[in-house]
Amino acid sequence: MKNTFHIPGGTYDRLPQNMRRKRFAENTIINTFGAHGYEEIETPMFEYLEVFCDRAGGPLQETMFKFVDSDGRIVALRPDLTTPTARMASTKLADTPLRLSYVGHAFRNNEAVYGVQLKEFTQAGIELYGEASPAADAEVIAVTIEALLAVGLSDFQIEIGQVGYFKGLLSLAHIDGEAAETLRAAIDCKDFAGVERAIADIAMPDALRKAICALPSLFGNGTILDAVDAPDDATAAALDNLRDVLRRLEELGLAQYVSVDLGLLQSLDYYTGVIFKGFTKHMGFHFCGGGRYDNLCAAFGRDMPATGVAIGIDRLLSALENAEKEGTL
Amino acid sequence: MNYITIALAKGRLAETATELFEQIGLDVSQLREKNRKLIFTDEKNRVRFILVKAGDVPTYVEYGAAAVGIVGRDTLLEEGRGLYEMLDLDFGHCKMAVAGPPTARKLLEDVTTLRVASKYPAVAKDYFENVRGRQIELIKLSGSVELAPLVGLSDVIVDIVESGKTLRENGLEVLEDVCPLSARLVVNKISVKTEKERIMDMVDKLRTLVHSK
Repeated sequence: MKNTFHIPGGTYDRLPQNMRRKRFAENTIINTFGAHGYEEIETPMFEYLEVFCDRAGGPLQETMFKFVDSDGRIVALRPDLTTPTARMASTKLADTPLRLSYVGHAFRNNEAVYGVQLKEFTQAGIELYGEASPAADAEVIAVTIEALLAVGLSDFQIEIGQVGYFKGLLSLAHIDGEAAETLRAAIDCKDFAGVERAIADIAMPDALRKAICALPSLFGNGTILDAVDAPDDATAAALDNLRDVLRRLEELGLAQYVSVDLGLLQSLDYYTGVIFKGFTKHMGFHFCGGGRYDNLCAAFGRDMPATGVAIGIDRLLSALENAEKEGTL
Repeated sequence: MNYITIALAKGRLAETATELFEQIGLDVSQLREKNRKLIFTDEKNRVRFILVKAGDVPTYVEYGAAAVGIVGRDTLLEEGRGLYEMLDLDFGHCKMAVAGPPTARKLLEDVTTLRVASKYPAVAKDYFENVRGRQIELIKLSGSVELAPLVGLSDVIVDIVESGKTLRENGLEVLEDVCPLSARLVVNKISVKTEKERIMDMVDKLRTLVHSK
């Protein structure tokens, strides 16, 4: 007999002791955000499908839960909170710079993979609009670090990249379209041979080829940037921007929580500058991510730079639990 | 020092991989013992080997239960997970191909629904829908896929082809190549950062070894 009292895969019931921990983490994080001037907002759990769809770098339609509203239009459960927040900020809030924070559920109709991909998950994040400076990117990362420390995670790293460096190399090598995507994917999964293969038939100066092939190995502490050459103004500007962000974090005494990965190249259509992800040795996958996305607000009618972060609360709680277990071994 | 766990796909890939690890200086003597142990340790280098089913290697590595894995590209294409695919180890060469009786060749150009049997449904679907631009009826099997067109279960199959001997002996042939395959070194996205020196040292040594052959 089918058990009708089970819940769908990829969803969770939270019993009191788990819920206490979750609420503590959410509150601690949102309070840290608030202390830095990020005001909490809320958007609907579901919105018109077009808000999320048909945008470069946006989620695929087939990964969303959809239904038909009483007005006959298709609505979707939000697959993330950054997009609705950008819609709200672009259309309803005039003054910049604008600092907003949120905590809430998001939904993906992917096949659930235990721990890695849930169907319903909680995100807490901040978005900073109207500031294109590296100071804004450094601020978002610094506030993220402070929030993570506040919930009790101590041995984590935020690894930072800059998609502008790769985009600069692409344009110097005259690579675009599908060839660019193949190359991006190879670098993003550190497939050294794949990178060489992707550009084998493309004519370019040796130095440029070397620079592209080096990308998968350019990760570690900030000093790895010393050995990276910028072949033109655009790539130099990207590296300077990254160095500026790192220097600011260092000045705040946060150097120990920060590292570099120039091979971080997720969703090039979406990210426009600094990009970062957080990890800890207590878990095999990242628990937070963010970066600069200066083009998103234009999709909602307002040309406004933006940078932000989203912390996966469920993953963060698992990491904290693993850290506790490993600490008592 | 923490252990670095290496997941090997059981079978021939594991045997060749064992030789490679021995040549870069790891102690593989436990791996060579014929027994029923599940974990084989090199105490000196603080490395542990585990033998798992090929299809499970990406899972162990994605969760970080193993930091490093060796597995065929066929498995990676089918499982498609968030891993660093760092090296082509240049052994275990074969190819993914569409095969069937010679008479099926014209069906490939036909507009009627093509019935495709495979152990690799994701690979088959991606090839026909995205590369060939046509819809198919997919039949998932778990072994002896060559049988499917012989008994009328499918028109063609998508499978790994090494020598092509099994195909020939059953009156089948390769109709189209999908992609070349070989053994890959995969690495957990976090482990490579937390154990950068040891893992990159291993990657560099393996790369030098593979290139010197």
